[in-house]
Amino acid sequence: MNDTLTIWTKKFMTNRSLQWKQMVMDVLHPGKAMVPETEIWEKLAKMYKVTPDVTFLFGFRTHFSGGKTIGFGMIYDSLDYTKENEPKHRLARHGLYEKKETSRKQQKELKNRMKKARGLQRPMLCCQKERLQIHR
Amino acid sequence: MAAPEVLESDLPSAVALLKNLQEQVMAVTAQVQALTKKVRAGAYLTEKGLSLLEVKDQLLLMYLMDLSHLILEKASGGSLQGHAAVLRLVEIRTVLEKLRPLDQKLKYQIDKLVKTAVTGSLSENDPLRFKPHPSNMMSKLSSEDEEEVEAEEGQSGASGKKSANGTVKKYVPPRLVPVHYDETEAEREKKRLDRAKRRALSSSVIRELKEQYSDAPEEIRDARHPHVTRQSQEDQHRINYEESMMVRLSVSKREKGRRKRANVMSSQLHSLTHFSDISALTGGTPHLDEDQNPIKKRKKIPKNSRKKKGFRRRR
Repeated sequence: MNDTLTIWTKKFMTNRSLQWKQMVMDVLHPGKAMVPETEIWEKLAKMYKVTPDVTFLFGFRTHFSGGKTIGFGMIYDSLDYTKENEPKHRLARHGLYEKKETSRKQQKELKNRMKKARGLQRPMLCCQKERLQIHR
Repeated sequence: MAAPEVLESDLPSAVALLKNLQEQVMAVTAQVQALTKKVRAGAYLTEKGLSLLEVKDQLLLMYLMDLSHLILEKASGGSLQGHAAVLRLVEIRTVLEKLRPLDQKLKYQIDKLVKTAVTGSLSENDPLRFKPHPSNMMSKLSSEDEEEVEAEEGQSGASGKKSANGTVKKYVPPRLVPVHYDETEAEREKKRLDRAKRRALSSSVIRELKEQYSDAPEEIRDARHPHVTRQSQEDQHRINYEESMMVRLSVSKREKGRRKRANVMSSQLHSLTHFSDISALTGGTPHLDEDQNPIKKRKKIPKNSRKKKGFRRRR
């Protein structure tokens, strides 16, 4: 089995105002179902002579019976621009962003309690909640 | 040797001619001066401009004069380099060429005039004789309908026919009032039959019959089932949208079903033994083969299924 991985890029466009380059990628991986994303990062980074941490990939769809996958890729000019312009879920895939794991039910309960309070009592409620938590 | 004799005999005639020349030159100067005085005084009215033909006349004459002057110069051995007459010639030529489209536009009228001048008068039925008669456009009879008026207004006024309508009617704008929807059962049945007929006409049986009897050359195409081509076109449209917008669109259940059906249809030998129903044309009862699904009635779908702005979805 050949272990070749070929990437063809199409519809390449440079977006100067958002400091990224976007493209549609055709990934050919004959004989395999799908290659891991890290390999595609490295390959793309080598092609465009950047580090793999400013390359972002998404939207991969593999054709029936394998061999070919089509997805989208973005390459940023620098890590700062990445942090500014990239959506949070994609940053999370690279480990640059951690999502807060708040309980949805608790949030809704707090909101409903605050609806009943008026004026300066609202921040008191927030602090009350924290006090309660510390007690426990 | 012969030169002094020629000179001797020519001398008196030369003197006489020179005197003549002098008198004539004086007369010409006097005339030109008078002309310039008149032009400066504004005796010649040019507020309506000069007629095209007159201008062309004068320009052609000037052209000829300059040309003959240049020929004389060249014949007596002078060079034409940077000669003022050459520039004048060029100028006159440009003006004449620019006048040519105007000439084209006036061609009809000039031809007519020339013909009248040559032949005297035109015959009664000569189409050159007719001119538009706007007074004939007005309605003289009151009983005819408006269609005839429109048809006649469309014609060129060359025939000068009398128009249809009577006295000028007041314009009533068309009323766009909602009308009550009153489709009876019979009408609905008729519509259904019409639709079935249209569908039957485009079925494979009828198409093959048409090909058999028509004289047109036989077209051999990459023949896929029409549903399949429709689906593949839609797929292509979707792919184009996704690639240009760099987003992935979700596929609804209906879309998935359609796609699956299209794939199945192209892979099975379905169309070999199953023909579409042409009972609408033959007048028989609609029947289905045993292994085909029964005809389902389409459910009413809510209207707000257009969530994505950019992508056109089929419901």
